[in-house]
Amino acid sequence: MARVVVLGAGISGHTAALHLKRRLKGDHEVIVVSPNSKWNWIPSNIWVGVGKMTPAQVTFPLAPIYRRKGIEFHQALATELHPMGSPVEPRPHVSIRYTDPAHSGEEALVTYDYLINATGPKLNFAATPGLGPDANTVSVCTAAHAVEASQRFSDIIDKLKSGERQSLVVGVGHGTCTCEGAAFEYCFNVEHELRMAGVRELADVTYLTNENELGDFGVGGMTFSQSGFQTTSKLWTESLFRERGVHAVTQAHVERIEPGVIHYEQLDGSKNTLAFDFAMLLPPFRGADLKAFDEAGVDITADVFAPSGFMKVDAKYESTPYEEWSADDWPRTYESATLPNVFGVGIAFAPPHQISRPRTSANGTVITPAPPRTGMPSGVMGKTVAMTISDRILGDGRAPAHRASMATMGAACVASSGVGFRKGTAAAMTMYPVVPDYATYPETGRSPKDTFGEIGLAGHWIKFMLHVVFIYKAKARPLWFLIPE
Amino acid sequence: MDNTNADIAKAPLPTASTLRRRQNLVVQAWRFAALNFRFLTMITKGDH
Repeated sequence: MARVVVLGAGISGHTAALHLKRRLKGDHEVIVVSPNSKWNWIPSNIWVGVGKMTPAQVTFPLAPIYRRKGIEFHQALATELHPMGSPVEPRPHVSIRYTDPAHSGEEALVTYDYLINATGPKLNFAATPGLGPDANTVSVCTAAHAVEASQRFSDIIDKLKSGERQSLVVGVGHGTCTCEGAAFEYCFNVEHELRMAGVRELADVTYLTNENELGDFGVGGMTFSQSGFQTTSKLWTESLFRERGVHAVTQAHVERIEPGVIHYEQLDGSKNTLAFDFAMLLPPFRGADLKAFDEAGVDITADVFAPSGFMKVDAKYESTPYEEWSADDWPRTYESATLPNVFGVGIAFAPPHQISRPRTSANGTVITPAPPRTGMPSGVMGKTVAMTISDRILGDGRAPAHRASMATMGAACVASSGVGFRKGTAAAMTMYPVVPDYATYPETGRSPKDTFGEIGLAGHWIKFMLHVVFIYKAKARPLWFLIPE
Repeated sequence: MDNTNADIAKAPLPTASTLRRRQNLVVQAWRFAALNFRFLTMITKGDH
């Protein structure tokens, strides 16, 4: 009997665990270790953050699902990785520390034959002084954060209704943040709710971003075909900003946040400030605080993980100039670069470099979005690795790895605002592939047929459909596996 | 140099008919079907 341990129960880890159990059945063990007791459909946190959904609508407890599927669940934080064993346990294992109230603080070892690191991001609010729910801004990264954001936003609407002018800033809180699409979506939800509340005229809404220009979204922008013309995601996005009266600050690295004032630097080296009454700024991400040791207890963390804390996999990590970047730089199998039978998926794998052109300010500050790898790509990676591991367990252990490079994978981003059948609207974008491949698509790096943007009610319906369908899938309801990642 | 707000001010605005089309139930029902088809085509295109 083989044992597969999955660290993390987000989109990638949960997808991997369900597919592993579906293929391995009761003959082998699948164990999930996650510090969170609940699964969260994070894309819908945006709606929680403006008070249009409750946390219960975007989360559910993991334990009953895993009990029903025969997956062992430890609500715990993985702290140490011992891929060659240790003096106390000769088999490969992970050290964990429980976070569930019944065993809080207790420690244990979990041995494995195969390990999937799907630990997701550490929300690195500490990278920017004054950033985050414990300081001067709000976040929608977790359902709990989104609830607090909603309460603060409701207070702002009350002030606006009493005639008090308010400044709202939505964006990212560091020069190396990712997930600009989520910030963009929340920004337009805020704008929509202000209009619905009849107070839009008194509110100044500003989108603050590290993107070089609007429409970059951390993927270097896109080229769309519309009405017989090619247009850029920059122009397409600017049109939306103009239509809704939203201001924007681009090329920004937030240096620090004081109560009511954001201090930021821009690519030209200028230092500026932005006053706010309400600010939702996403944090930069780091890898989880997971250390690795060899059998003698020597720290090998630097071999296994990049300095950012993300796991090194089968990518090309050699430093090369932007002009030499290639689709081949990106990982295909997500197997650890140094450890046998270990995989890193979702946000937990270390990307070889950004997708957007890297830029530094006149003062040497890096102001470039990190590559997005959430949502659809995360789910695909989880399933791909689950297929590889199950093939190897069910075969002779040498089955070739399944492949899913972000250079041969598409992604959809549906930024929806409003709720209800007729009241919403959305900016729906898809791109194929996520990482531009100029060898295959010399003109723009992406398939013109599969890279497009569209605004309208239909995208809003799709966003709600995705909410329902992916929660159904995550709950492992009948035929869940037929729903694509 | 951040010229973003100057660029926004010059960006094309949708016409009234475009805005109506974006909210028209019949048009959007068709777009819903078309978008789903394009999403599925894109999803199945990868080598995974």
